[in-house]
Amino acid sequence: MFKSMIPNGNHSHIITNTIFKTFSRGKRTATTINAATQKIVNQLSALSASRKQPKLIRLCQEDLIKHRTIVNAWKVFKRQREQKRTAQLKKQYESIVNAMEDLKTSSPELFELASEKPKKAVLFPLEMRTPTDYPANTPWIYNYSPPAKFIKAKKPTTPESS
Amino acid sequence: MSVSRTFTRAFSNSSSLSRAGYSTVKPVHHLVKIEKAALKPNYQSLLVPKDDILAVGYKPTEIDQDRLLDHYHNTIQSDLMLHFYKHDAQKISGNKKRSWGEDSPYKMYRPQKKPVGTTRQTRDINPINFKNIPQLESVVVQIFNKHALEDSYLNISSRLLLSQITNVKAKQIYAKANILPWKMRAGKPCGAKVELTGVDMSQFITTLSELVLPRIRTFKGIKLSSGDRSGNITFGLDPEDVKNFPEIEAFQELFPNLTGLHITFKTTARTDDQARTLLSSVGFPFYKA
Repeated sequence: MFKSMIPNGNHSHIITNTIFKTFSRGKRTATTINAATQKIVNQLSALSASRKQPKLIRLCQEDLIKHRTIVNAWKVFKRQREQKRTAQLKKQYESIVNAMEDLKTSSPELFELASEKPKKAVLFPLEMRTPTDYPANTPWIYNYSPPAKFIKAKKPTTPESS
Repeated sequence: MSVSRTFTRAFSNSSSLSRAGYSTVKPVHHLVKIEKAALKPNYQSLLVPKDDILAVGYKPTEIDQDRLLDHYHNTIQSDLMLHFYKHDAQKISGNKKRSWGEDSPYKMYRPQKKPVGTTRQTRDINPINFKNIPQLESVVVQIFNKHALEDSYLNISSRLLLSQITNVKAKQIYAKANILPWKMRAGKPCGAKVELTGVDMSQFITTLSELVLPRIRTFKGIKLSSGDRSGNITFGLDPEDVKNFPEIEAFQELFPNLTGLHITFKTTARTDDQARTLLSSVGFPFYKA
């Protein structure tokens, strides 16, 4: 160092080296973690919420009022839809009750048949699908019959018995 | 130095000092916990309800059509009501805790007797009417990862797997008991769990019934015997089956040791048969084991 301060043509390159030295605290080394650890770190960072918080929405007063109006209207719509739905179900329920009461007095045999309940769980057919936005070209098969293996084989009627 | 009884019983201030008295007023101040930190003006922004657009954690919830819920309201609900209708049906009372009787004052505050034959109460089964038609409440998806018992970092991948599949951040679950042969120690993380409701639930059910289960060759359905007798039905998926989830399929190398899943459907049905009928409406087959 002291040598480099001496103006000497031979040591000019040393001068530049010493002056423009970048100082750092301690010894810095590139941190290398093995691939397996890196994978776990990646998985953790995918799970954690840090840096994934979206920015706080800053609305002006007008936009805020607009937003709240829309939200309120949507709530009213949803409430009315729910009330309508419940009223409809109630109506259906009452008509079921009335029909059964009626049947009870008018035809006890039919009432017995109607109020019979299966002991096992009755399941919806597997062919029933939840509707989608884009239905198939033939949305409904009108003359549908289940596959042959699902139809119970009827007992063959002999000509003698008939 | 004994204080004379006549003195202590005197109508004076000193009487209360020498008597071991007690208050009949229940001390409330240390039973009711008040989070005073929440009163800080810095935290006011955190007290805004999350569905408010001004809240810090605001997340719009209704951004999409819920196909499954719409189908339920449009088609299934009224069908179920008609199907489960039973004329002149009465409430079936559950197995409840029993009173010890009222003939003695000593029985007044005694904890009630356990239900007959069991330790848990069971629910009443009300006849189905237009108010209590069975509906899916939530879906609980749970992973038990036994490898995580030894190396807890292995639990991260099962948490991530669950979060990827369900779109909800999974909770870590911990071992409750010390079981030596399973190398289980209480407090060790050993799996993950999520409870899905609303749109996430519908999304998960549609993925499961339309994409995952049809691609499992050995899948026969949910066992008809499955259920907890109060309308909640559980079934499991093997590690091989979990690969069929579209979120996992493309990134199989990220999940080297896959674990199976337990999927529980919580319903408002009060019997398993009702729950099975409800589940079959969203496309789950059942089979007799």
